[in-house]
Amino acid sequence: MNKPFEKKVLELRHIDKSYFMGEGLEQKVLKDINFSVSKGEFLAIMGPSGSGKSTLMNILGCLDKPTKGEYLLDGVETSQMNENELAFIRNRKIGFVFQGFNLMMRRTVEDNVVIPLIYSGKSSKESYLLADEYLKKVNLRGYEKYFPNQLSGGMQQRVAIARAMINTPEIVFADEPTGNLDTKTSHEIMTLFKELNEKGMTIILITHEPDIAKYAKRLIRIQDGQKFYDGSVKGYKED
Amino acid sequence: MIKLIFKEAWLSIMSDKMRTFLTTLGVIIGVCAVVIMVSVGQAIQIYINKSFDSMGGNLLILVPGTGESSGIRTAHSRPTVTLSDIESLKKIKNVISVVGIIGTSGQMVYGSNNWYSRIAGTTEDYLIVRNWEIDKGAMFSDRDIKSARNVIVIGQTVAKELFGFSNPIGKYIRIKNIPFRVVGTLKEKGQSMTGDDEDNVTLVPVTTARQKLKGSRHPKTVDVSFIKIDKEENVKIVQQRVIYKLRARHNLKTGQTDDFSARDLTEIMNKIRSIGKALTILLSVIASISLLVGSIGIMNMMLVSVTERTREIGTRKALGASNKWIVLQFLTEATFISCLGSLTGLFLGIALSQIVGIIYSATVPISVWTIVVSASVAITVGILSGLFPAYKAMKLNPIDALRYQ
Repeated sequence: MNKPFEKKVLELRHIDKSYFMGEGLEQKVLKDINFSVSKGEFLAIMGPSGSGKSTLMNILGCLDKPTKGEYLLDGVETSQMNENELAFIRNRKIGFVFQGFNLMMRRTVEDNVVIPLIYSGKSSKESYLLADEYLKKVNLRGYEKYFPNQLSGGMQQRVAIARAMINTPEIVFADEPTGNLDTKTSHEIMTLFKELNEKGMTIILITHEPDIAKYAKRLIRIQDGQKFYDGSVKGYKED
Repeated sequence: MIKLIFKEAWLSIMSDKMRTFLTTLGVIIGVCAVVIMVSVGQAIQIYINKSFDSMGGNLLILVPGTGESSGIRTAHSRPTVTLSDIESLKKIKNVISVVGIIGTSGQMVYGSNNWYSRIAGTTEDYLIVRNWEIDKGAMFSDRDIKSARNVIVIGQTVAKELFGFSNPIGKYIRIKNIPFRVVGTLKEKGQSMTGDDEDNVTLVPVTTARQKLKGSRHPKTVDVSFIKIDKEENVKIVQQRVIYKLRARHNLKTGQTDDFSARDLTEIMNKIRSIGKALTILLSVIASISLLVGSIGIMNMMLVSVTERTREIGTRKALGASNKWIVLQFLTEATFISCLGSLTGLFLGIALSQIVGIIYSATVPISVWTIVVSASVAITVGILSGLFPAYKAMKLNPIDALRYQ
């Protein structure tokens, strides 16, 4: 799947993550994780709760730093960066879609979508033009002035997807994006992700639902802090 | 970009209008109180100065004092200053004029109108000493005094009450059934410091007052005298000379206390001025405390806001807000609230102090200095009280903040 000439969006090399509980007690959450993701991939990361899936997600999203190992994002080593450098990386190279949508309830849809652009210093006019454009891409044209609580859960998640994409990131992380949605809406959202991936967007999906993971092309399973499976979704047989 | 930051801050503080209003109210009250207290304090000082100016500057007040009789100090004042004392004081160097006054009061009658007024028995120099001017007619003359004529000069209030708008000159007023011919009216002076109407006064020759109106048991004495001195720096030395001269004239031996007192008006004035100043400072300090409390209100609101918006802060950090942005956002919100409060407070304070001025018909100054200082203090304290909450928000770990319910 990883052809050598393809551009690597991210690469993990011997990633360890430990939490220190005091008095020298060390809890290893991730052990020697290695993999890379190329441009245009649609990867699902699965694992039971407590497997280290969330910790891996935080490291991939530059919200946390590994204890050991190297993490290259778009060719840049990030594991030694300080908070502000990581904030810059998150702003320019990463888009986030959360389980709970994490929209600002007292702001309109377009005011929510422009937030990442504030932090990259875009002008107001340019920002709102881009917001319109990306809201169109998630089929929310005409809803610019609505407040999130006037929209259905699926629509709110689409606002969040527009917000994740607006700064043209290298990669979008979706952490249980359908966790708060009913089955029908979940499939709508996943279809949208699939379409966006087909248009070239690199997506990493974190989920525990096999039905949702099926929309991805590649699957990584984490168990007890270790990579347990890495291959095509179709090739994975449930135990 | 700046537009977006401002918009963000505005949306945030407007998301809970009631809370923002109440927090702003704290600042409004604080700034408003400072402006009112300082303005009113300054108005009081202007008022004090004006009142002293109307009394006339560079004055010594000579009051017959507690005398000693058979070695016992008498509590009430005895009339010890005589007309010949006054004549002799006029000869002291640097003294422009000395005027003795016999004070009384009485019912004035003109036709069917009557009015109660203070009466000062005095001499021509009264006008010079008290900085007063004649409006119509003339002051009574030396001749009038010598022959104790029944002539009278009336203040504006008396003129208005007795004569309305008609010309009082040449008309006759009756006091204690004695007719007095009006020879002049005084220019308007307004209220005195104690709130008395200064224009409710009549002047008669000192001799007339003594003989016909007062029937004094001490016919050659005066109640109070004013000594006008040429320059302020000579007031102290003249005071010494007056005391020396009067002690000699009254045959007071060393060790005996003065049977009069010569007070320096400037000294009294400065004392009252410094009391006025102290009052202004006290009022301002109290007002500043309310301003401080208002600012603590901002800090309180911002702290609650940081806790409430933990998830929002987490999301913002995930979307790429650096620490600088988080701090900037909360500081901008604090600045907005304190600016909003300060400007409203300033406006209200100026308006209210002007209303107070209109009610008490006094000049209440709008001091640019007060406005600039109180507004900048309020805004600075407001921003400072946003610093700690902003720091707290900055220190939030994005992973924990995102998980916060």
